[in-house]
Amino acid sequence: MTGQMSAPINIRDLAAGTSIVLADGAEAEIVDNPGDGIWLFARYLSSPHDPSLVGQEEMIFVQNVVSIGTATSMSSRA
Amino acid sequence: MTMNRPRGWRRGLVDLDVGEVSREIFVNEEIYAEEQERIFARAWLHVGHESQIAKPGDYFVSCMGEESVILCRDRANKVHVFLNSCRHRGMKVCRYDEGSTTVFTCPYHGWSYGTDGRLVGVPYFREAYHSRLDKEKLGLVEVAQLANYKGSIWATWDPAAPPFTEYLGGFTRYLDLQLDGWDGREGQAEVLGGVQKWLVPCNWKFPAENFSGDTYHNISHRSVDLAGIGPSGAGRRDMGERDVSRKLHVCVPDRGHQTILYVLPADKLPPPAYMNAPIVAEYFRHCEEERRRNRGEEARLVGAPGEIFPNTALLSRQPRTMAGWQPRGPHQTECWRWFFVDRDAPSEVKNFLRDYYIRYSGPAGMTEQDDMENWNYAHAASRGTIARRYPYNYEQGHGTAVTDYAYQGLRVPGEVIDLTEVQSSEQPMRNFYRRWAEFMEAGDWSQLATWRAVRKAAE
Repeated sequence: MTGQMSAPINIRDLAAGTSIVLADGAEAEIVDNPGDGIWLFARYLSSPHDPSLVGQEEMIFVQNVVSIGTATSMSSRA
Repeated sequence: MTMNRPRGWRRGLVDLDVGEVSREIFVNEEIYAEEQERIFARAWLHVGHESQIAKPGDYFVSCMGEESVILCRDRANKVHVFLNSCRHRGMKVCRYDEGSTTVFTCPYHGWSYGTDGRLVGVPYFREAYHSRLDKEKLGLVEVAQLANYKGSIWATWDPAAPPFTEYLGGFTRYLDLQLDGWDGREGQAEVLGGVQKWLVPCNWKFPAENFSGDTYHNISHRSVDLAGIGPSGAGRRDMGERDVSRKLHVCVPDRGHQTILYVLPADKLPPPAYMNAPIVAEYFRHCEEERRRNRGEEARLVGAPGEIFPNTALLSRQPRTMAGWQPRGPHQTECWRWFFVDRDAPSEVKNFLRDYYIRYSGPAGMTEQDDMENWNYAHAASRGTIARRYPYNYEQGHGTAVTDYAYQGLRVPGEVIDLTEVQSSEQPMRNFYRRWAEFMEAGDWSQLATWRAVRKAAE
């Protein structure tokens, strides 16, 4: 069977501090969730394609979130 | 008058020398479309009140003519009015009536805007737009001018419109009666509860004309008078202050604003009111004394129904409310009603007034229901081919207005008709339609601000 999909993530349920994996393989930590089901405010923890993004905060579009991450947040590492 | 040529606005449809207004201006779809461009895209329009957006992030979805707009307060506490339409495909970015938010997100493709209107989120900005989309140019469309007048928020799409207080002319005096505290302190009003909204199958100018100062239709409200819905258990309102006052029609001729006004004698306080509720009666008695102290002679003015051109109605006393007559096609109006109280008034007073207000006005208000019935059937009976041939008549009191009216030392500027003996005139309606015709004919504000030319000539 090809194209198996993982269960969709309800991003409205995700709390600040949760790590998320993005479509391009980057991982980010949620800073704030406005609860609109469309956007998350998150800070990049890693970004293989563009390392300059690490540490930056951005609005993340729901369709870009592919899974819940496992990375330790930058704040807890500190 | 040949009437059956429904070809949009043209001179002659409003003939104030004869005192006739064609029914076409109420039922003709081309004229309605021209009104949106020539009136609602150029005039100052009431949007809401700052008490509806008390905190940063608060918003209230209002409208300006047919346009849905967002009145909101951004994170820096600045008040904005934006067109409620995404710059990408036009979807409403806010579909709630009111609330609080950090961003307005379009549910169609996800473009998102801050409460300052900036485009802050574009899905796949990096991937699909290659980071090239100029987000700075694609914020929400903001009104050309915004004014906060004693807490009431007004806006216009026209950058050439005169400043709001100039647009009002001398009518600020009557808007003050609405927005100042009952004790005469400036800008003490707050909106009580939510805004009541309902549809009436009539053209927006029916209620606008009615609230311009129709004192002729009181027969419509006889049943309410008999039911005794007033705050002292009789009539519709406490009429004591009116019985001892001069009753006037006051028009600001070059602006299109007009009102009914009562002027108390110099040596009299208004008779007691709200006698069914001792706490409320005492509150207003105290406020009246303070008003005399704070305002002096001006405290003799008692507000009544009036209209700020084009579609905002005032009623500063019993019940204290503002209305917007929002056009929804030539044959439908969405009526919006804001109710006001003094923000420092005791809760007993606010609760009493809430009950009285909704008993009187709004979709469930007994008096407003009478009016709606008139507008509804008058409009329906004016749509037919034969009906359109016969203009409405506006001759009442023609040629009887004066411009130097004073009562016991208190001057009332504008065109004034003293109704105390004659009971009624149609001067306010003529004033309203004169201005309406000017808006429909004028190319721009250089032609509409007629008072500027008069002032210049005088210099």
